[in-house]
Amino acid sequence: MGLALVKEQSDVAKPSGAQPLPVLQLVGVRKTFGDFAAVERIDLDIVEGEFLTIVGPSGSGKTTLLRMLAGMEAPSEGNITLRGELINDVPANKRPTCLVFQSLALFPHKTVGENIEFPLKVKNIAPAKRKERALELLRMLRLPESYYGKNVMKCSGGEKQRVALARAFAYDPDVLFFDEPLSALDYKLKKVLEKELKDLHKETGKTFIYITHSLEEAMVMSDRIGVMRAGRLVQVGTPEEIYSRPADRFVSEFVGEVNVIEAVKSSAGEWVAAEGGAPIKLKLPSALTDATKVAVVVRPEFLRFVDKPGAADNAMNGTIYNEYSLGSRIQYQVRVGDKTLLVELSRGNGWKGTLDTPVLVGWDATDAIVVAA
Amino acid sequence: MADVALAAPRTESQSAPKRTVAIPAGLRCASPVILFLLLGFIAPLLTVVAYAFATPRSFDVFRSFTLENFATIFDSSNTVWMSFAWSLAFAFCTVVLLALVAYPIAYGLNRVFGKWSGLISVLFVFPLFVSENVRLYGWTLFFIKNGVLDGTLKTLGLAGGPEVLFTPGIILFGMVYVYLPFMLFPMTLGLAMVPRDLVDAARDLGAGRLMIWREIELPLAMPGILIGMLLTFVLAAGAVAEAKILGGQSVIMITHDIEIAFTYSQNWPLGSALAVLLMIIISGLALFVMSKLDLDRILGKR
Amino acid sequence: MDMEKRRSGLFIGLWTGFVVLMIYLPIACGALAGLSRGRYFGFPVKEYSGEWWQRTIDSFEIATIVQNSLLIAGIVTVISVVIAFFGALAFARYEWKGRKLYQKLLLLPIFFPQPVLGLALLLWFNSLGLAPSWQTAAVAHLVWIVPVVTLVIAIQVYSFDPVLEDAASDLGASRLFILREITLPILWPGIWSGALFAFLLSWGNFPLSLYTAGADSTVPKWLYSKMVAGYTPMVPALGTMSTLAAATVLLLGGLAMMLIRRRAAE
Repeated sequence: MGLALVKEQSDVAKPSGAQPLPVLQLVGVRKTFGDFAAVERIDLDIVEGEFLTIVGPSGSGKTTLLRMLAGMEAPSEGNITLRGELINDVPANKRPTCLVFQSLALFPHKTVGENIEFPLKVKNIAPAKRKERALELLRMLRLPESYYGKNVMKCSGGEKQRVALARAFAYDPDVLFFDEPLSALDYKLKKVLEKELKDLHKETGKTFIYITHSLEEAMVMSDRIGVMRAGRLVQVGTPEEIYSRPADRFVSEFVGEVNVIEAVKSSAGEWVAAEGGAPIKLKLPSALTDATKVAVVVRPEFLRFVDKPGAADNAMNGTIYNEYSLGSRIQYQVRVGDKTLLVELSRGNGWKGTLDTPVLVGWDATDAIVVAA
Repeated sequence: MADVALAAPRTESQSAPKRTVAIPAGLRCASPVILFLLLGFIAPLLTVVAYAFATPRSFDVFRSFTLENFATIFDSSNTVWMSFAWSLAFAFCTVVLLALVAYPIAYGLNRVFGKWSGLISVLFVFPLFVSENVRLYGWTLFFIKNGVLDGTLKTLGLAGGPEVLFTPGIILFGMVYVYLPFMLFPMTLGLAMVPRDLVDAARDLGAGRLMIWREIELPLAMPGILIGMLLTFVLAAGAVAEAKILGGQSVIMITHDIEIAFTYSQNWPLGSALAVLLMIIISGLALFVMSKLDLDRILGKR
Repeated sequence: MDMEKRRSGLFIGLWTGFVVLMIYLPIACGALAGLSRGRYFGFPVKEYSGEWWQRTIDSFEIATIVQNSLLIAGIVTVISVVIAFFGALAFARYEWKGRKLYQKLLLLPIFFPQPVLGLALLLWFNSLGLAPSWQTAAVAHLVWIVPVVTLVIAIQVYSFDPVLEDAASDLGASRLFILREITLPILWPGIWSGALFAFLLSWGNFPLSLYTAGADSTVPKWLYSKMVAGYTPMVPALGTMSTLAAATVLLLGGLAMMLIRRRAAE
């Protein structure tokens, strides 16, 4: 087992490579607690060296899925294999995987150094060698070497995060799991650490599996994202795919604030708004050819104000009743009938209107996503 | 990672039912305590119950069954009910007085003393480690003729100390003295369960001191206060040392009667019958109060 | 408001001070009596002397009962801490079916008058054919002290995050390694205070020893027999020594714990 952790850049197996070997494979994995199925028949191949994020609201089963992968929970049905070997009943301490806990689970009675050395002590590695390795890891995580003897409880939130990562790397696992470790940090620090984590992933070439409820976090870091809902994986794809081609309304709404306009097929075979009955131009995906009711999803940045109905494929009359500054962008809330639509414009293109004035909100059919209602 | 042992891959499907249900870890850890308490606590109590139904003045336990012992106790000519009455009355008064004595201190430990709370708590814990007879005997030396109080007053040219020893009042005083920690600490835990924010919020909403105390502090601290009251009542109802050392046997407590039956009169069945009656009162009360409490919340404070 | 707060704080402080004074007043009276010359105690003390202390220290009888008390307290400490450590894990760490019932069973011996418990144990030992001695007294102490120590350790266990054990296991540690490296060190303060409680409560226990020690005597039991049978200044002298011994143990124990904490906090 080589202790060299930072691989040469060229060695890093990229998920985009030709048919890479799945490091972890899930086949029909299901977990039930009594009558309740926390995870429902999941099939998933996790590619060597990828950064996969499982995202979903609380109670979607993502934590249970992670605990099964880490070996803290055995699946009720189905198989989990690691490099082709069945590991369903292999306990956590016999798996070459490591979990970074939400609470980080740093040992409060041990110093920073002792925390990092813990997995090496388990393996009976000589103290001098342990220390050498711990210092190496401190450097890698950009912590000063003087932190070696520091009380771990006296570290700041970001420092604790790095110690937890160093400890996980000291174990030298094939796969690292992360259970929302950044959720307790403030926004700014979170942004910094997200980037660092991504860098570490690139440097080490290890497989990272991250779970979070924040798709924003997932988008920044991941090679692939899996969206979970009620124990099922609803969609797995690159951030770009999840963003621009959400599999259904749930995924599209999960990705961020969206405008959803329901459309129905009229007796004449035309698509019209379910509310108001105005005709709607849309591009129907082939899977929905037979549908009679669909949801048209338009992101706020694809809506704009137009001066006349023909300026966009679709246009609706409404009234601006509020505006919010989002930094570089401005968001407008527009009342259209009983609904509220969100329009987002960059500050430079700021619309010079006043509140409570009637406007025409428009969008093009190519900018809208049509999903099953 | 070659040194990490992986289980050999299984050939059969994984849909087989889970392995047989193992004993939960909690029960495994609890079993030594449970076993010990069954043998050291429950079994002795059952023995007492068995003796209570044995032939009077005999040691024929488990071989005879009679209600004679209880008949003796409830006989109208028997004055043992006086001892019950004294014990329960003392216990009741002890609880009331201790609640008044301990509440300000418990409040202080939570809200006033700050970093000194730990040290002050130790001052109150320590007497638990000195046997009660030594401490009570100190009071005898204090109140006795030519004792500390009497001597001091006489030195000051006064008439000397009052004759308080060997009266019911001093017995009550002794009980309040001995059982103070048993009221104070549950009460302190109880008051610690009152979130600071709630009191501030109530004040912010215009509530006065009395109102805050009655509507917020008291109800939320109640579990701890109840435990303290129960504990002191139970201990005081079974107390005997105070009456013997300070009371000079001017009052006979129920435990004293039980002890006499066990020792001087060698009538174990009668003593057991008395003990059973005391146990019924005490455990009835204890089980009733405890059924209303959630210990995790009182001790936990996660 | 602030004025009112300060006034109530002052009242609480004064009251607490008064009660503390009352708690230690009789102990001080005992110390005075043990240090006075002459057979009978009178106040103000006319002449102080270490005579009764010397006689107590020299007494062979007292050496035996001190030995008994120490032996019982030592045995009770070791056994109760071991049993109570696991008992506390069951009390506060694990979620299991009978836990609530178990918690209540555990409290019952504490919520029970000790003289009655002592007499009940006497009957039980008798029906088992065991002659009461210092060994049976140790068992009797355990019945009361095991639950107390369990509670003391349980309070520490409540603040222990079980995720730490999961994390250690995830990093490859075996159960024994986790117990040695994680669980025990973190629970150490609780175990230490549990041990202190066990030793000191056993050392000072009177009602249980009175009925279950048979012909053997412990310090509190011997003191009681002399209190009822006739005064000798050896009673307050030994009482004071026993109190000082307990205070020393508590002080050293507390100091050791503070050192451990401070080292951990560095």
